[in-house]
Amino acid sequence: MEIKKLLFVTKFEQLCFDALQSLLNLQEAALTHVVFLNVIERDKVAMYRTGYKKDEEIRLRERANIRFIDWAENLFEQGMEVGVYIVVGTLVSQVIKSAQKEETDLIVIGRPQKGVLEQLYSGSDVVELLRRASTPVLVYKHTSEGGKISDKPFERPMLAIDWSPASMKAAEYLKNLNNIIQQIDVIHVASEKALAGTSAMEIQKTRKEIRNRLDEICDSFEAEGISARSHVYIGDPDEEIEKAARECQATLIVLGSSAKAAWMERWLGSTPRTIAEKSAFSTLLIPPEQK
Amino acid sequence: MSKKVLVVDDDPDVRLFSVNVLEENGYTPIEATDGEEGMKFVKKEKPDLILLDVLMPKESGVRLYRNLKTDAALKKIPVIMLSGIARKSFLRSQKVLTQFGGAEIPEPDAYLEKPVEPEELAKTIKKVIG
Repeated sequence: MEIKKLLFVTKFEQLCFDALQSLLNLQEAALTHVVFLNVIERDKVAMYRTGYKKDEEIRLRERANIRFIDWAENLFEQGMEVGVYIVVGTLVSQVIKSAQKEETDLIVIGRPQKGVLEQLYSGSDVVELLRRASTPVLVYKHTSEGGKISDKPFERPMLAIDWSPASMKAAEYLKNLNNIIQQIDVIHVASEKALAGTSAMEIQKTRKEIRNRLDEICDSFEAEGISARSHVYIGDPDEEIEKAARECQATLIVLGSSAKAAWMERWLGSTPRTIAEKSAFSTLLIPPEQK
Repeated sequence: MSKKVLVVDDDPDVRLFSVNVLEENGYTPIEATDGEEGMKFVKKEKPDLILLDVLMPKESGVRLYRNLKTDAALKKIPVIMLSGIARKSFLRSQKVLTQFGGAEIPEPDAYLEKPVEPEELAKTIKKVIG
């Protein structure tokens, strides 16, 4: 589960070369290959009234090509391998297709900047991608809560554990990055219900049990040479994970992606997707094992 | 028998342009869409010349060039680089890969930066393989 090859999805609005540069210390782990993908959305070139606008497609392709040539020159000169795709289509399908074709280990994508109405009609590309991708997805965000740009997102990640197979897989994934992780905070958000004991003693007992389980995970990180600390939070997971990331001064939130069916997510919601979309922090989502 | 020239480029417009130039000048073109496919064709067809792009999916021209020049059976096939990537970036990348422990490899027979005029391409091909 090393990150040797990453797919960098850009529209040149949310994600530019500075974001990619902040990920280049992954070279110290295993990264050797970056694949750029720019998807020209169909509605930009295929109009109902005017038909297909070939000229516009050429203009958009060349605009992307010029940027990618510039970025690629920089990466080639660092001894990296670089690939490029500029395609017309729908974003999520093309990302999935390219990731499969190139067998990438990580997909990097920016946070959607759609308005409320746009989201209502088209949904969120990121949510759709998280639902369909079998590859880990990093939703990159430029600004954290304090307005600071993290120049090394993998330096101080915070892993939110819910004991699901996907979150345990996320822990294993991070162990491969021991060359670049300085410290990791491992947290679990317990629900108020789980701690609803009859006495303070019982509540503290539950907290202690959770803490012990987290410490076991921390010990496994320490064994890989990564300094790790455990924390227990109580309350709504969406709010508490955000709060924990601020308190831990995290550079990245890492979660196992939910394995819930799409219809169930609509009814019950999904913490990983809410965090990926709404958190101020960059978020790395690790999907469950594919059946 | 006319000489075989392998064109390795992911851009269909560039492949079409190169194929036209090659046919007009009496060569037999073969097309490949990326470095991986390019290597398969090199081994299968043993071309007399390779026109190679740099920035492509699957495997870049940087890697394919290195693989060609470190393969005893293929290293003598002349290569003309035809790319939007600047010559100095290509040469620097090869230098860095050599520093990482790779073998020292020679410069390509010619390096043309896109876009290139048909006359210039034909002239360069003729100069390299006659």
